[in-house]
Amino acid sequence: MIKAENLTKRYGATQAVDDLSFTVEAGQVTGFLGPNGSGKSTTMRMIVGLDGPTSGTVTVGGRGYGSLRFPLHEVGALLDASAAHPGRRARNHLNWLADSNKIPRSRVDEVLGIVGLTEAAHRRAGELSLGMGQRLGIAAALLGDPAVLILDEPINGLDPEGILWVRHLLRSLAGEGRTVLVSSHLMTEMALTADHLIIIGRGRLLSSGSVAEFIERSGGHHVKVVTPDAGALGALLRDKGAIVVVDAPQVLSVEGLESRDVGMLAAGAGLTLYELSTQRASLEDAFMELTHEHAEYRGTTEPAEANPT
Amino acid sequence: MTQVVAPPVAAPTTALVTEARLSSVFLAAVRSERTKLTTVRSTMWALIITVVSTVGFGALLTAIVVNQWDHRSLAEVTGFDPLLYSFAGLNVAQLCIGVLGVLVMTSEYATGAIRLTFGATPQRRLLLGAKVSTFSVVIAVVSLASCVTVFFIGQAILATKQAGVSITDPGVLRAVIGGAVHMVLIGVIAIAVGAIVRHTAGAVAILFGVLLIIPGLVQLLPQPWNNDITLYLPSSAGSAMSAVVRFPNLLSPLGGLLVLAGYAVATLAVASIVLVRRDA
Repeated sequence: MIKAENLTKRYGATQAVDDLSFTVEAGQVTGFLGPNGSGKSTTMRMIVGLDGPTSGTVTVGGRGYGSLRFPLHEVGALLDASAAHPGRRARNHLNWLADSNKIPRSRVDEVLGIVGLTEAAHRRAGELSLGMGQRLGIAAALLGDPAVLILDEPINGLDPEGILWVRHLLRSLAGEGRTVLVSSHLMTEMALTADHLIIIGRGRLLSSGSVAEFIERSGGHHVKVVTPDAGALGALLRDKGAIVVVDAPQVLSVEGLESRDVGMLAAGAGLTLYELSTQRASLEDAFMELTHEHAEYRGTTEPAEANPT
Repeated sequence: MTQVVAPPVAAPTTALVTEARLSSVFLAAVRSERTKLTTVRSTMWALIITVVSTVGFGALLTAIVVNQWDHRSLAEVTGFDPLLYSFAGLNVAQLCIGVLGVLVMTSEYATGAIRLTFGATPQRRLLLGAKVSTFSVVIAVVSLASCVTVFFIGQAILATKQAGVSITDPGVLRAVIGGAVHMVLIGVIAIAVGAIVRHTAGAVAILFGVLLIIPGLVQLLPQPWNNDITLYLPSSAGSAMSAVVRFPNLLSPLGGLLVLAGYAVATLAVASIVLVRRDA
């Protein structure tokens, strides 16, 4: 479990992280979202003790990171996948990390297998592709078999298969009861991977809650119908209590009924449908709106739109 | 791709993480630093250049002196130090060791690996100690081996003029060891400068400035400031340790050791303060 309380970081005049409080629970994937420059990386660096907070505290498993001995057994972090000496072989990169925390060398082989780098273990870090470098970074995070994982943009540079693999890996790690905090600026990716979302903008907490809650709050969904009988179908649907908006001459937007109901009503009335589909509100749009709004409210006394669970 | 994920955990914080002794953390950090040093090519190259320049320049300059033996000035004859030319290569070796020492810190800042290092060992002072200890042992072994080698080669060359000394002669063994200690302390200062400056180019420039350029500038000062200050410069203090004859422009061997060790301690103290205070 990771717990941040009133975490604040100022660099000169820049307020990178502003009074941020949140809890990351074990056993689920927590997505840490925010636009570029919103303070995600700074927050993650503070969690692992690299940057000292200006004020506030953050603990991992109830302890400050700096007080941990051999912390890789407790916390694994991927902060910057390119953080390997380009001339050092992939296996040796993991070897020195293992040595520093009394992790047996046999575990190095294990994690190389987990991330699929066994064949490339002898290659120098500088010769690895972006995606392989990312896998090496993930291997380093898994090295100590930690109960807490902190991954900053782990899918950067990965191909579709790699993205799928990371998604699967994060889910299975959380399934084993580990705490998984993963940052991204891609809302759609997080909607697929995470159970819980912590969204920040300009260093402040904007939203914290389950993915389902966020989807619900972001405006639900409607049914799009394309039909030559728009007038007749529209009247029929309104009779059933739906809100119908005519988007275009043959296109209706229906709220209040599921696509299944619309289809059955149309069939019952013998009306032709060209298209019938459920339209989900774009999470990306909702996310943009949330972070954008926050930027507009900046400087007022209005509290951030927080929804702690 | 096969999915082999570690066995189920979510175990509470292990005793290793909460109760390990700091000495254990230090030893692990030393092992880790040793692995780092032995797994990049630059280490081996810099050490080879160090050995070759120590032995090569020492042998070469001693041979030149012997070749010009009958044309020496009176000052050269009266102030002849049988080890001076043998150890001439240390002036080059200290630059190699300096660059390597700087890289111990700055290469990690350049690649971002310093964050992994600090993440793995949050006890930053202890980590600095581990880096310094590991590097010092490596430099001590390499320097001592090359100093001993060049001593015997140099004296063998001088023996053709019956001018060589034995390792058992007074002050000689001390001078040979002193040459190695000089190199170790330069290495320590280099690590500290690397930790303070964090950029390779800047740290190397400062180190070379102190070792090569400042001695020249100080010589331009009026008498007696130039000689008085020169005595206490790191390069002169280091040379004092490997001299057998007492030169007026050098401190005593012990004085040289104390001054150079003083610089090492002072720079390390600054490094350990900024390392803890600064964000990584």
